[in-house]
Amino acid sequence: MRIFSLIFVVFFFLVSLALLPSVMTGGSVTFFIFQADALAVFMALVSSLVGSIIVLYSFDYISHYSHQNEYYLMVMLFLGSMMGLIYSRHLIALYVFWELTAIASWRLIGFYRKDWDVMRADKAFLITLFGAAMMLLGFLGIYQMTGSWELTGMIGKVLPAPLVALILFGILSKSATLPFHTWLPDAGVAPSPVTALLHAAVLVKIGVYVFARLFLTTFIIGHFWHVAVPALAAISALVAGGAALIETDIKRIIAYSTVSQIAFIFLGLASGNMIGAVGGLLFILMHGLSKAGLFLCAGIIEQNTHEKDITKMGGLIKTMPVTAVSFLFCAFSVMGLPPFGGFFSKYMVIAGAVNAGERYIALAFILGAVLTILYLLRLFNLIFLGENRGAHGREGSKLMIFCVALLAFLSLAGGLLVNYPLEFLNTAVRFIR
Amino acid sequence: MILQLAWRLDNLSLFILGAITLFGVLLFLYSLSFMSGKPHRRQFYLYYFLTLIFAAGAVAANNLLLILFFWEAMLLTLFGLIFIGGERSYRTALKALIIAGVADLCLMFGIILTARLAGTLTFSAIHLSAAGAGGIAFLFLLLGALGKSGCMPFHSWIPDAANDAPLPFMALYPGALEKLIGIYFLARITLETFKLEQASWLSFLLMSVGGVTIILAVMMALIQKDYKKLLSYHAISQVGYMVLGIGTLVPAGIVGGLFHMINNALYKSCLFLTGGAVEKQTGTSDLNQISGLAKTMPITFACFLIAAFSISGFPGTNGFFSKELIYEAALERGWIFYLLAAAGSFFTAASFLKLGHAAYFGQSDKKAKEASWAMLLPMIILAVICLVFGLYNVLPIRDVIQPIVKAEHDLSGWPANPYLTLVTVLVLLGAVLNHWLGVKRAGKALGAADHIHHAPVLKVLYEKAEKKYFDPYEWGMKAAEGLAKFLHWTDRMVDAVFEVVLVRITAGLSYWTKEAHNGNFALYMIWSLIGAAIVMIALLRF
Repeated sequence: MRIFSLIFVVFFFLVSLALLPSVMTGGSVTFFIFQADALAVFMALVSSLVGSIIVLYSFDYISHYSHQNEYYLMVMLFLGSMMGLIYSRHLIALYVFWELTAIASWRLIGFYRKDWDVMRADKAFLITLFGAAMMLLGFLGIYQMTGSWELTGMIGKVLPAPLVALILFGILSKSATLPFHTWLPDAGVAPSPVTALLHAAVLVKIGVYVFARLFLTTFIIGHFWHVAVPALAAISALVAGGAALIETDIKRIIAYSTVSQIAFIFLGLASGNMIGAVGGLLFILMHGLSKAGLFLCAGIIEQNTHEKDITKMGGLIKTMPVTAVSFLFCAFSVMGLPPFGGFFSKYMVIAGAVNAGERYIALAFILGAVLTILYLLRLFNLIFLGENRGAHGREGSKLMIFCVALLAFLSLAGGLLVNYPLEFLNTAVRFIR
Repeated sequence: MILQLAWRLDNLSLFILGAITLFGVLLFLYSLSFMSGKPHRRQFYLYYFLTLIFAAGAVAANNLLLILFFWEAMLLTLFGLIFIGGERSYRTALKALIIAGVADLCLMFGIILTARLAGTLTFSAIHLSAAGAGGIAFLFLLLGALGKSGCMPFHSWIPDAANDAPLPFMALYPGALEKLIGIYFLARITLETFKLEQASWLSFLLMSVGGVTIILAVMMALIQKDYKKLLSYHAISQVGYMVLGIGTLVPAGIVGGLFHMINNALYKSCLFLTGGAVEKQTGTSDLNQISGLAKTMPITFACFLIAAFSISGFPGTNGFFSKELIYEAALERGWIFYLLAAAGSFFTAASFLKLGHAAYFGQSDKKAKEASWAMLLPMIILAVICLVFGLYNVLPIRDVIQPIVKAEHDLSGWPANPYLTLVTVLVLLGAVLNHWLGVKRAGKALGAADHIHHAPVLKVLYEKAEKKYFDPYEWGMKAAEGLAKFLHWTDRMVDAVFEVVLVRITAGLSYWTKEAHNGNFALYMIWSLIGAAIVMIALLRF
């Protein structure tokens, strides 16, 4: 089952890779209700790459628990519906895949079956379901307006504000942005590979992807939204950054970090200019790599020390050197230090905001970036440095540390070889509209 | 493409690159001996050379984004170099990373704003006015430059690093590189990119920051009882002179500021190296435990003497000439700045009298030997360059620095204003007198500054400063904590909407509907009939 699921995910990666040459020049490949263009292929590559590393990691992680078959089935459903969503050009198909991911994530978050876990899973499910229902209303409105479900026929149409608002409900709840973000930290009760999937590869990236798909490549939205969405994202980045500085549960902190970083993606995509849009998409890649790395490191720590409270850790760099260095690399990338990949994407989204004339919003995001540096360093400091405060543990299994080291390496390589994804995204964005 | 590998090699950047290379080679030679037998040697050399590469790149780059890249990349090696210093040095490493990281984020914002205003990222092609939005862009670039050069308020990691980091790092980074690249950037933006006017508030801001940095840091240096820590406060204080000099925007001040930058790098590195030699040979840098080293380590002492005379601005040394130029410019812009700078000189001289007296004179109880040649040679070379720059200042001033700033008058040779020289001599004599009185009162060399340390108001201030009461980093951390608490509370409130409010509303609504479902079939029939009736009426009416 596990080999099959790995093959399943890698297959998607290879298919997307095969589609790469035909979309590089701005063309697109259409099949049934599916369509592949540069944006879709980019997103699919990111998701399936990160997804396959996470599935590989689960081999050793999940082998400690029962219901393994259900786990792999749900992961496949999860990643498969993600791929379906990415390549959909039909609004109803998009909605169906959207809800399929919600169902898969509901089972996966509550994987440990304790009452508390199931309640958390319900919370995640209900909040995203509410958003999806609103979004469906928005889709109905679009249908009423255009008489069609096909996205390809709607390019360049102006979308009225109420419909944008309805669809944003869905996007913001899926992408865990204020005020619909609190389910994401609570979803930390899931197994670590699942949280990594939720944060890095699939769930929260759905929202930003659909944002890019609908509001960047298809419809034209009013200027109001180019200010309102970044402003909301700024508040989200600050609130989540502050919360990450106070929390003591390792996975909750990284989850809040996701909330704050997703806000940067929204900033880039909503800024309405080239550099911001490319930056936002690049951010999806860099954030996916490094955030998956952070969660998988957290998984090693949690599984081997049986502890989630960072105030009880400390000094673990001695027993887990590879995990520590990988964690640090990924953290540097999230902080946005060169030569790591996160630097370029963070620079570009903030440059996009300044180019759009939003200086104060850009300043708020600079403050958000300071908070990012602070909470990640605090996290690293409390887990790996200083004196041990109770929780001991050995290094993770070879396969697990291979996965985290690979992600750390990719975070670094993404920065050193940033020209390749950047060039591709430049093409992708240039052919938009 | 945004990130272009564009380089800019003109007089200024070549001059700085030459200096970086010189220090890189000399300090590497020194490290070979100093680091032998120390842990994490390989990591040290890795970070050491990466730092040199990044520093050279930061100076040579002609693309603002590339400069940002190299500057921020230096954060990582900075972190690494401090981190390997010892078991507990990670705190200082984090502190340095956070302080420098915040400064670099300011720089990033400044660069984005500048690029937006100018429409290009090519550094040499940007010429903006420092009014309005340009002023904001300049301010943020300035914050970045000050942060990199270790000026106040971005200074407080340096004294901590003096205790925790390996010594060659102190000589390389806070001693030399940091000033070279920070002041290089400052000079570029004030003189070329923005062409600041003397009347601008930004010029006033620069001079104020410089003056305050000089006096506050040197006051802290005066009371230190550790060789390296004392030097580290001077590393902060001296950068004040450069910022003040460039901030005056008077040609003499700019030339003086740049000359002071290279002088400071020379004698400050040399001083740190003597400190390292003393530490290596005696096993400690605590001034309470070392004395009388002049006899046992004569060459180290000679180097120390030359560098200490230079930093105190003793007439005829290189430090004297650069400081006189800065004094002249400062006096032209306002007597208060001159006063701050001159007072800084007084305390600098006083603290070096104390340091030299305590470490090198008196009873020699420890069996220290002279340091190895690999350690002595870099010191000697640096001291000799100091001497050359002092005795023949035509070479650095007329031949190197003046072509850079295109000064109209030749400023080399003896200072133009003899009164200022007289004041400097008097200030130095005052420092000697002060030292003599202090030693007489306290009975030992190390207590030479005790009468200032324990003066009525200063005593309280010093106590608080030692407890890091005035550390901007601590303030920032407290502010961040407060902000984080508030934001966390906001987050919890948002969560409460889902966890409590929505749950209550749902429970309240279902309270009534629950009553309606009691299992009684007849009741259900009635509900159905009522519902059917409503539908019928609705259908009939429309």
